[in-house]
Amino acid sequence: MTHKVIEEGAPLRGRAFLASFIKSFLPAAPLLLIVGFFFLFPIARLIHVSFLSNENTFTIGNFITATQEPYRTGFVNSIKIGLFSAAIAALPGAIAAYFIETRGSSKLRRTIAVMNGVLANTGGIPLAFMFYAALGIQGQLTKILKFFGWDLYSGTFSLGSFIGLLIVYLYFQLPLMIIVFSPAIVSLRREWSEAARNLGASQLNYWIRIGIPLLFPSFIASSLLLFASGFSAYATANALTVGNLPLTPLQIGGLLDGNVSAAQLNLGKALGVVMILISACAVIPYLAIQRRSARWQK
Amino acid sequence: MKFKFHPALAITLLILGFFVFVPMISAFEYSIRTPAEGGYGWNNYLWAIREEEFLYYILRSLWLSGVTVLITLFVLVPTLTWLHLSNSKVRGLIDGLSLLPLVIPVVAFAVGAQIAFPDFVKDTVLELPFLYFVLALPYAYRALDIGLNAIPLKTITEAARSSGANWLRTITSVIIPVIRGSVMATIALTFALSLGEFTLTVLLHWDTFPTWVTYVAQENILGAIAISMMSLIIPFLILTMVTLFIPERSTQRRK
Repeated sequence: MTHKVIEEGAPLRGRAFLASFIKSFLPAAPLLLIVGFFFLFPIARLIHVSFLSNENTFTIGNFITATQEPYRTGFVNSIKIGLFSAAIAALPGAIAAYFIETRGSSKLRRTIAVMNGVLANTGGIPLAFMFYAALGIQGQLTKILKFFGWDLYSGTFSLGSFIGLLIVYLYFQLPLMIIVFSPAIVSLRREWSEAARNLGASQLNYWIRIGIPLLFPSFIASSLLLFASGFSAYATANALTVGNLPLTPLQIGGLLDGNVSAAQLNLGKALGVVMILISACAVIPYLAIQRRSARWQK
Repeated sequence: MKFKFHPALAITLLILGFFVFVPMISAFEYSIRTPAEGGYGWNNYLWAIREEEFLYYILRSLWLSGVTVLITLFVLVPTLTWLHLSNSKVRGLIDGLSLLPLVIPVVAFAVGAQIAFPDFVKDTVLELPFLYFVLALPYAYRALDIGLNAIPLKTITEAARSSGANWLRTITSVIIPVIRGSVMATIALTFALSLGEFTLTVLLHWDTFPTWVTYVAQENILGAIAISMMSLIIPFLILTMVTLFIPERSTQRRK
């Protein structure tokens, strides 16, 4: 605690300043080094290389190509699947979180928390198998629905189509919504609803005037995070689509593997940078709202 | 507490359960099919377990995840303790930095990792635990931060220090036991994330248990489904065990 005293003293100059500077950074050095080398450095390099032409000169050509077909459709599809999957999962997830947190026993809540943790991380081949087994052409649910007269596959439906992928994405989006929205529910205090009732508010009044306004920011924030999750999901889309549905993460993966060749070697990096920008538009407001509501969630 | 039936909760769980379990049970039904003999059996699971690579990849995934957990604890617990005690000006910076991985889509991170690292990093599978550490950082950091916020850290450390414990001992035998709930949560989520990580691993051309399924699928589809079922059940069991060890009191906010 000695450096605290130093910091509060007179302004330091020269070597004394350097010493206190080092002292106030040094314990954080391992974390800063790892994050710097394994995270900031690759991202900085990505951004740098995205502006390089094949001859290593500065260009914005990669970004121009990134906004043209087929990459434009890739972005449109990725944004659409992020938006739709977030919009569909948000409200049911929030309601489920509310009933689980307010009505569930502690044991039930903990079990569901663990399950959600696993489910929100499912993806890729295991998830694809589950949905092939349920909703594939030979799937169990497909057969049951057919028995009742609804032939899923009479039209253009397939699990690799936009609608198919959307249904599969809900499998991890819904648990994710429950995970990120539950803390907001937990922090709604019973005293508030009791106080409202004592002052003569009906249940509906309480929700319109207090409950929903309090939960709304967290709801929007959670939906934004869901958008980012659906927008950037790679493994599941990779397992389910066969090149029929252009999505940006898949296009980047193809360019990275060399399965797809482009005239511009660094096109994949530019696509990555644009993805970061779009994702940042959702995650940064999410973080800002979380930080704000953390003030009363104590 | 007495069990009470709540219709709203029951309906919620029924709908959620339907959505979650129908695909899972359908896949499970496939995984226990035995086409050669007709009917059902554990043949596909036995086949998978007897595969030579099975043990290799599962052990590899386990030790990589173990290393990730160790890095997380070794780096984050002392750093966060120091940040909480010193009120250093870098705390805001590090708080923000720890959340940054949430902003970056994993695919973009993978591209950056592929072009940035020198060969001596790229050539060793040990790069993976450090990258997994970055992916888990927002969650791990927050879990430990909440734990440290909830305890009178300053009093505890001063008591330990004036009783003659050095810093290492203070952290290992005083701070970690006091925030064991947060530590367990951190271990659970870091471990689960590393065990199931697919995108980064496959784009950097490494093979672990989750990526191995891709090859099996080309050879024996029912065996691959059996492995997929196991890859769901194993983290579930590990997480359940870990959370059961967390004492109830420390996982919940004091009201």
